[in-house]
Amino acid sequence: MLHKLMRAFGLFILITAGAFTVPAAAHQQKAAITKVLFNPRTGNIEVMHRFYMHDAEHAVRQIFGKDADIIGSAETQSVFADYVGERFALTSGETELPLSPVGFEIERVFFWVYQETPITEGISDLTIKHDALRDVWPQQINTVNIEGLDEIKTATFDGSVELKTIRIKE
Amino acid sequence: MKKGLIVLSALFVFAAGAASADAVKQTKGSFVDKFRQLDEVLPTPNVYRNAAGEPGHQYWQQKVDYKIKVALDEDKRRITATETIRYQNNSPDTLKYLWLQLDQNVFRNDSMAERSNAFAGIGRRGPLNVAASGNAPTKLSFAELRRQQFMQDNELGYVIGDVTGANGSALKFTIVGTLMRVDLATPLKPGANTSFNVNFAFNMVDENTVSARGGYEHFPDDTREGGNDIFLLAQWFPRLAAYTDYEAWTNKEFLGRGEFTLEFGNYDVEMTVPADHVVSSTGTLENASDVLTREQRNRLKEAETAERPVFIVTAEEALENEKEGTDDVKTWRFKAENVRDFAWASSRKFMWDAKGYKQDGNVQPFVMAMSFYPKEGGDLWKKYSTEAVVHTLEVYSRFSFDYPYPVSQSVNGPVGGMEYPMITFNGPRTKLQEDGSRTYSQAEKRFLIGVVIHEVGHNYFPMVVNSDERQWTWMDEGLNSYLDGVAGREWDPTIPWGVEPRDITGYMKSQDQTPIMTQSDSVWKLGPNAYTKPAAALNILRETIMGRELFDFAFKEYAQRWMFKRPTPSDFFRTMEEASGVDLDWFWRGWFYSTDHVDISLNSIHKLQLDTHDPDIDFARRRQEEADKPASLFDERNRAEGKRLWVELNPDVSDFYDTNDRFTVTNKERNKYQDFLKGLDAWERKALDRALEENKNYYILDFSNRGGLVMPIILELTFADGSVENMHIPAEIWRRTPDAVKKLIVTDKELTQVLVDPKWETADVDVENNYYPRRIIPSRIEVFKSPKSKAKVSRDIMQDIKTKVKEEETKD
Repeated sequence: MLHKLMRAFGLFILITAGAFTVPAAAHQQKAAITKVLFNPRTGNIEVMHRFYMHDAEHAVRQIFGKDADIIGSAETQSVFADYVGERFALTSGETELPLSPVGFEIERVFFWVYQETPITEGISDLTIKHDALRDVWPQQINTVNIEGLDEIKTATFDGSVELKTIRIKE
Repeated sequence: MKKGLIVLSALFVFAAGAASADAVKQTKGSFVDKFRQLDEVLPTPNVYRNAAGEPGHQYWQQKVDYKIKVALDEDKRRITATETIRYQNNSPDTLKYLWLQLDQNVFRNDSMAERSNAFAGIGRRGPLNVAASGNAPTKLSFAELRRQQFMQDNELGYVIGDVTGANGSALKFTIVGTLMRVDLATPLKPGANTSFNVNFAFNMVDENTVSARGGYEHFPDDTREGGNDIFLLAQWFPRLAAYTDYEAWTNKEFLGRGEFTLEFGNYDVEMTVPADHVVSSTGTLENASDVLTREQRNRLKEAETAERPVFIVTAEEALENEKEGTDDVKTWRFKAENVRDFAWASSRKFMWDAKGYKQDGNVQPFVMAMSFYPKEGGDLWKKYSTEAVVHTLEVYSRFSFDYPYPVSQSVNGPVGGMEYPMITFNGPRTKLQEDGSRTYSQAEKRFLIGVVIHEVGHNYFPMVVNSDERQWTWMDEGLNSYLDGVAGREWDPTIPWGVEPRDITGYMKSQDQTPIMTQSDSVWKLGPNAYTKPAAALNILRETIMGRELFDFAFKEYAQRWMFKRPTPSDFFRTMEEASGVDLDWFWRGWFYSTDHVDISLNSIHKLQLDTHDPDIDFARRRQEEADKPASLFDERNRAEGKRLWVELNPDVSDFYDTNDRFTVTNKERNKYQDFLKGLDAWERKALDRALEENKNYYILDFSNRGGLVMPIILELTFADGSVENMHIPAEIWRRTPDAVKKLIVTDKELTQVLVDPKWETADVDVENNYYPRRIIPSRIEVFKSPKSKAKVSRDIMQDIKTKVKEEETKD
């Protein structure tokens, strides 16, 4: 138990430096949507994360310090995109699919982060990890829609869910 | 045959649908009636709330008045108070007991909220924990440890002293979690009233540690030894639970999320606080001469007609004030009429600005807008908080009713955003730079303006239109999110506000969601469920389904009908229909009672031509159609190989059929045509002649409904001559075949492209199947990678601006 706690401290020391209030009715949504698209045109599994700017703005200041500015600083944007990239993973069977960063951009009220990996033959299931912002506030819910296959499948990351395996081929 | 001329029949496809749980069931076939009236789904209209969605002719609600004397012990962060409650029973029922809400008890270690808190569970308001999973260890966060230690070290929850009747005799009371039942000495008859007293005390929670809706925030770095606090008092006194015609006592345990509904009444509250504190509160200050200096009162007078906010307590005065404390106390007295709750804030850190708002009208011609904030709020608050309060009142009143209270306040404290009558708590702050200055980001500015609009907006919904937040979060959050988008766009449309239908498609197509009509504590994803989706739905109703005129009229009617009353969802649904004359049951069913999404697909378009029945014309057309088909590959390759045909090699052997094909017209057909013409009635002949003369193009568009949610089909038709026309097909086209419909378009022109929902106004989740012919819709990543997109991202411009700033700095 002690061992576990010690490890926990190591993991959590960055994010608990600042306390955060949970607004009952504020504009933070604490919800992100990710589209994992099997794109036959590009031959890639394309991963498109959509965060609310309000969420990202508050998150970066907790994660990277109070000077972090997701709107004004290209550096903060880049660091945040890396942060998201590190907390999202796709595994098929025992093999982790190597996601390469594609970029990031602001669109209206949203901050988008892009990743991709080639579609490998014979994938029958996808194990997904999506921890982004879930180490910042427990209300964070990340919804992942798997698209481009027969029907949309959804993996939701909330509560204690860390990994979800979605069967994509029978 | 003869009358089947221009009848172009469609195949009706009935797809399988989920069996309905309604009392009325389709038990043959699989037809789903998406337009079934909500009859048995909605509660039966009665004398309290009628079928029009209006308060019925015997509508009643209770009235509860409070007199409270409360003392704030700053050092112990403890509240001690006595309250006298006058309960007016306007119900037709005799009440033997009354239920009170003891919200502070949610923080007790043995509360249901604490005990039922799943470790690392979903949607908890508090620090993060992560359960072990695979090789990952269980994780407790520092914040969770701090919270647990705080809960251990502090005795939280109410200490209820005496509960006594008006004559001083003790009343029996029973505490049930966050509720308390007080047994009355004699049953309270309809129309009668009773008074009783409650003594209570509690230790405040550290808001940042416990994640509440109030509490204290400590500032250890202030000059004063030991630092300072901001105290936010919300849910701070035992409050009467609502007794209603639709649910009787609303005594459902407070689990931390589903908020409140309370009774309207009058408040008279005296709060004794350190003498150097400034108090912001629900209500009007009754003893300004006791607690404010002459100078401050003069400034308040000046603020009434000022163009910009006037400081009652300036930044310099607040800074001076927070440097040291006092042992003296002062008592502030506030009164509020016809409010459903009462909250206040107290601190020596507050600066205070105010600006009068001339609302005019009869309800409340003058309103004082005020803000209270510490130096940490800084210039951001000075510039925008009070102005945003006034803007909210201006816009919201236009869409509902005149703001009915004398003040509206925005207070900066540890709570990110929370609303109470006449007072709101808002969180955005400036940041301290190393040179001592305070700056804020663009996002923080947007956050402040947005959150002030939203929380002040809550004064309309649910503080005046008193819906039950614990049951139906969307009734205040959804309506308010819709209106804060309206107000935001009137502030500065270059700031992205509001909810576009396109924003909600990712959520709506996902498998993991609950219907909007879900009790608050059970909702899975509260943000999209109670805020975004209903706000998007109302936007769609206004812009696409009903039109602004009808929507605004009906929405305002709803607000005015239920002002200072207690609506339920059915009252909203019924009013919107009844006042607009638009049947919306299908819309409520789809958007509020189901988890369907919108995905209308245009699968095919067939071009048709009227048969003339004149064989000399029609047979020639058939011959041409045949000739237009590609030749047989087999024959083509034979020819390419130089194969000679038998008929080519033997031209001397031929007959009639070598010169007449199967489309050759004989007099038999011609006679039949003449018979056909003779058989037509005069009007039929006239119609045929005209149709043939006009020779229009007939197109059949074949749609399927892949998302389940029926919506209008909005079409953009592009023609060969370059012209573009729009067509709005009402959702009712789906009423008998909700999965597939065909539509006939008759036009002089030649159709080249059809696009469904060209302006993205229906939340259709798949754009690709909206095009006919199909076109490739690049993914976001494909667009992002294209060179054209990169030029638009403007990231370089932002860099350029930064570079320039650095150059100036080096010159200095």
